[in-house]
Amino acid sequence: MRNFTRLIQNEWLKLTKKRSFWVPVAMLAAISVLVTVMLYKFSTNVAEVDSAAQYLASMLGASGLGQFAAILAVVGTAGIVAQEYSQGTIKFLLIRSRSRGEILASKYIAAAGYTLMMTLVAGVSLYAAGGFAFGFGGTGAQWADALQSGIYGFVYSLVYVTLSFMMGALTRSTGVAIGAGLMGSMFGGIVIFKDFYKYFLFPNADLTIYEKVGPPLPGMSIGFSLTVLGVYMALFLAAGYTGFKRRDVAG
Amino acid sequence: MTLTQRNMSQETERADGAETVLQLENLTKRIGRKTIVDHLSFEVKQGEIVGLLGPNGAGKTTAIRMMTGLIRISGGDVRIAGKSIRAQFKEAIVHVGGIIENPEFYPYMSGFDNLKQAARMTDSVTDTRIREVIALLGLEEAQYKKVKTYSLGMRQRLGIAQALLDRPKLLILDEPTNGLDPAGIREMRDYLKQIACSERIAILVSSHLLSEIEQMCSRVVVIQNGRLVTEQSVRHRTDSQQPAIRIRVDKPEQAQEALRTLGQVQVQEVREAESELLCRVSDTDIPGMIDTLRLAGVAVYRITETTKSLEDEFLQWTGGSQIA
Repeated sequence: MRNFTRLIQNEWLKLTKKRSFWVPVAMLAAISVLVTVMLYKFSTNVAEVDSAAQYLASMLGASGLGQFAAILAVVGTAGIVAQEYSQGTIKFLLIRSRSRGEILASKYIAAAGYTLMMTLVAGVSLYAAGGFAFGFGGTGAQWADALQSGIYGFVYSLVYVTLSFMMGALTRSTGVAIGAGLMGSMFGGIVIFKDFYKYFLFPNADLTIYEKVGPPLPGMSIGFSLTVLGVYMALFLAAGYTGFKRRDVAG
Repeated sequence: MTLTQRNMSQETERADGAETVLQLENLTKRIGRKTIVDHLSFEVKQGEIVGLLGPNGAGKTTAIRMMTGLIRISGGDVRIAGKSIRAQFKEAIVHVGGIIENPEFYPYMSGFDNLKQAARMTDSVTDTRIREVIALLGLEEAQYKKVKTYSLGMRQRLGIAQALLDRPKLLILDEPTNGLDPAGIREMRDYLKQIACSERIAILVSSHLLSEIEQMCSRVVVIQNGRLVTEQSVRHRTDSQQPAIRIRVDKPEQAQEALRTLGQVQVQEVREAESELLCRVSDTDIPGMIDTLRLAGVAVYRITETTKSLEDEFLQWTGGSQIA
């Protein structure tokens, strides 16, 4: 276990020691503040918002800043496998007494950690900005909503980070990995009104939809969506693992 | 320095019980219908430096990548300290330190942090050991600088440092002197010799620089088209042997006549056109030979040693293919 946590530590350091690590974080914080200021000044939608917690609950999901957080998490983690190849460091990584499965798993956990961190960054900066605009604090129910919204936002991000992670492991290209993650999150807004579409990843990724507007297609529920997401993520990870494990590292 | 078949002294050294560290058994790699490495078998013992030679596309890199688990093996096996790289990868690879082509690091981290990365992937490497290899490779001053500021020579040294971290039994180096300047090459060679000697580890090195291999290795394995061509030991010549020399004189026939009486000198060939004689004579008999020639009224212009270089032999083995 200690061996494995040290692998995760390695991956986390590789992400965070880069100077570009701070760019997505700073962007997310800045956008959170900016959006809050704009809403407060120019929008009537926030008239009944009376606390930062309530504001958080409405903003952390994919329809709020969750999508933006997801995109930045994809950008931040897309290179986690591909860059090892482009830097040539994959050779050092794979000629150690650790299995390829362990290495890939540690990378995925680091990517998931980064995604969680981005959700937290969005939460903290929205709360701070929202606090000044609408007043700090909130009722217990509002906090529960905010927490749920945060969890849904995290799940939404993780789905696309996982998609992008698989693409990175399969193609060894950071660009393709980012592209796949972005495309996926864009498809989320499009609903094709056919029954089969409910089995696609995209209409299921944003769980906040059940709170706000109800199921996008008949026969969908939050349990259904969670199952679909679980199956897709397991498939992505299995595909990424198979590709990573079998590949010859030549040239 | 000349090449001879495996000599007696080496045989006895082996009998001393030097452990076989690397063993290739019919190692084969097929991609589609092409066979890139074809039933390759050889061994490397503790304390040996073995050169892996071959023309471009001979399969050196593929073979090395199979030994380190980077490329899957189609047939045969590689054993490291007795453990199969196919069946017991973790147990086998733990004994290997390697640089596969250029040493690549995370450029935005310091040399020390890069070594820390490597150390976290081992079971036992401590910070004390990291300091030790840093000192061994003379990287004390550079250790906290980011690797992107390193020269290629420094990166090569850092590469060796990371390879040595976990006290491997086998060091596998693919083109370790690639891109280094002459001073860097020499430095690298000295490190490797020192390491093989002091840490008693086996080193397998592939290089396209034949003179490098000649000066560094105790044995060479030559492969071509994925197959073993020859396995030879590189022996340093001793004084007791008779080196071949070339003497340029003004009157070659007269010189041949004069030397015929001298038992210690064997004249092998007289080249009229170049006005030269090819002889075999030991170092201690050369002054006598010169005196004899002078007394016979022959003017000696130059005496040069003619050694068959590894390059000549290599071209002979591989049928003149281009070296890489």
